[in-house]
Amino acid sequence: MTKNITNIYRATVVNLENVALDTFKLTLHEPTLSTQAKPGHFVNIKIPDCDGILWRRPFSIHNTEKQQGHFDILFKIVGKGTNNLIGRTAGEKLDIIGPLGNSFTLDENTSEAIIVAGGLGIAPFPLFLKHFERHDIKITIFYGVKTKENICCIKDMAEHVATIFYTTEDGSEGDKGYVTDLMHNYLDRIDLTGRQLFVCGPTPMLKTVRALTISYGIRAQVSVENLMACGFGACMGCAVRLARSAEGEPEYRLACKDGPVFNMDEILFND
Amino acid sequence: MINPIMVASGTFGYAEEFESFVNLNKIGGIITKTVTLESRPGNPPPRIAETSSGMLNSIGLPNVGVEGFIRLKMPFLKKLKTHVFVNVAGKTTEQFSQVVERLDQLETVSGYELNFSCPNVKEGGLSFSSDPNTAERATQLVRKVTQKPIIAKLTPNVTSIGQIGKAVENGGADAVSAVNTFVGLAIDTQTFRPKLATITGGLSGPAIKPIALAKVYELVKSISIPVIGIGGIFSFNDALEYLIVGATAFQIGTANFVNPRVTEQILNDMLLYCENHNINHIEEVIGSIKI
Repeated sequence: MTKNITNIYRATVVNLENVALDTFKLTLHEPTLSTQAKPGHFVNIKIPDCDGILWRRPFSIHNTEKQQGHFDILFKIVGKGTNNLIGRTAGEKLDIIGPLGNSFTLDENTSEAIIVAGGLGIAPFPLFLKHFERHDIKITIFYGVKTKENICCIKDMAEHVATIFYTTEDGSEGDKGYVTDLMHNYLDRIDLTGRQLFVCGPTPMLKTVRALTISYGIRAQVSVENLMACGFGACMGCAVRLARSAEGEPEYRLACKDGPVFNMDEILFND
Repeated sequence: MINPIMVASGTFGYAEEFESFVNLNKIGGIITKTVTLESRPGNPPPRIAETSSGMLNSIGLPNVGVEGFIRLKMPFLKKLKTHVFVNVAGKTTEQFSQVVERLDQLETVSGYELNFSCPNVKEGGLSFSSDPNTAERATQLVRKVTQKPIIAKLTPNVTSIGQIGKAVENGGADAVSAVNTFVGLAIDTQTFRPKLATITGGLSGPAIKPIALAKVYELVKSISIPVIGIGGIFSFNDALEYLIVGATAFQIGTANFVNPRVTEQILNDMLLYCENHNINHIEEVIGSIKI
């Protein structure tokens, strides 16, 4: 794997778009980051002029427009930091560290990539689609959200993808229920040879998907989210426990440096 | 040291993590993440929590052990032209000296910082940090096995930091560094659970600067060996406060996470300050507090 040229960049705000309920797409201009970004990579953004906030905030790289030197992040307003970001206007500079972490890898013998995303877990996948778009590979997406107001990026993704199945928990659009149920049915129907799963979403969903992939013996990569003070392996705050150490002395890996992408069966998810 | 700027243990990895951000050789002294005799996995997550202008951590000293350190981390550190101090911890007084004795054969190591103060390890840590006799004895044992500088890193979580400072001075320490983190607690009010798996952790960052500064001031008045100031330094102005109260050097900790280039910025600001104030050497401001 080639090593990231991780550095501190000053990226220019290009656009901020409200793409779903409390959910925004921030487009930034920084050619080096845009060129280097691979699906799964993240950036760590310093929240400008925000009293009391110490840490940077990590975001998956959502998409890129390499020709223009742009890249996007997708975020939901969850607190002071993300609330600050929606006040940014075009032309402003943001202090960004990136690209950070490892990335999703498509195996040689994969004929179908099955994406499973819950809520904001959809964030890394538009770049994934762009990066892995090949004629000989089928891409299927399972995307679950709480309610129809949370749905985003469908249009962007539709042009790259064979099929998108989506669910809302309240049934306001798409199938009613959990995306994992839909995915389960799908796995039951298909021949699993050559299938590879790519997963990102909330912990309960990850736990369900992990159990399914292990019982079906299907290869799966997951991008994990974790609190991090630095994002580049110094604070060691973002520990993820290895499954092989489930019993006895724990072994940990760092979500920022060894991840955020892991083979799903190799790690355990925290409660 | 070429300048009084150091980086605090546990906030700078083994320096390699910062190679792409700063010129490591411009930093006066690099203090490694803690090294113990045997490897340690560290504490269960969640290990960190953000608080107002601060952070709580309970990392639990994960490290590859002294032999792993020599094999995996030393090759990079060897290439550096600046001073490297290895932070050492042990479950017993003997373990401190065992680790130091092993490392003392290596030329790369400029000296040691004894971690008498980690609030997040169950074994040992507390007695070293709060009992002057144990701290003195551990320092004496290390003194026997090395001629290199020994820095004792002290906890603020004691009634009298001056008393511990005196004890390590008597034990043969060449300097003290203060302070390590303050014991703190944060609760998630949605779940009613502590934000850290170990319930409490160590508080660092700008939130602790005034209390850390008071501890450094107390130490300066209590002992005659140099005091290295630590606690919430994010800018040269923060560092200057420590120098003014009498710290001879300072360590930058949590700021490295947020701005991995902060050491270089503080150095530049320090040089600018000296120029603007007709100061030949920054040493001139040490202990210049006016009361």
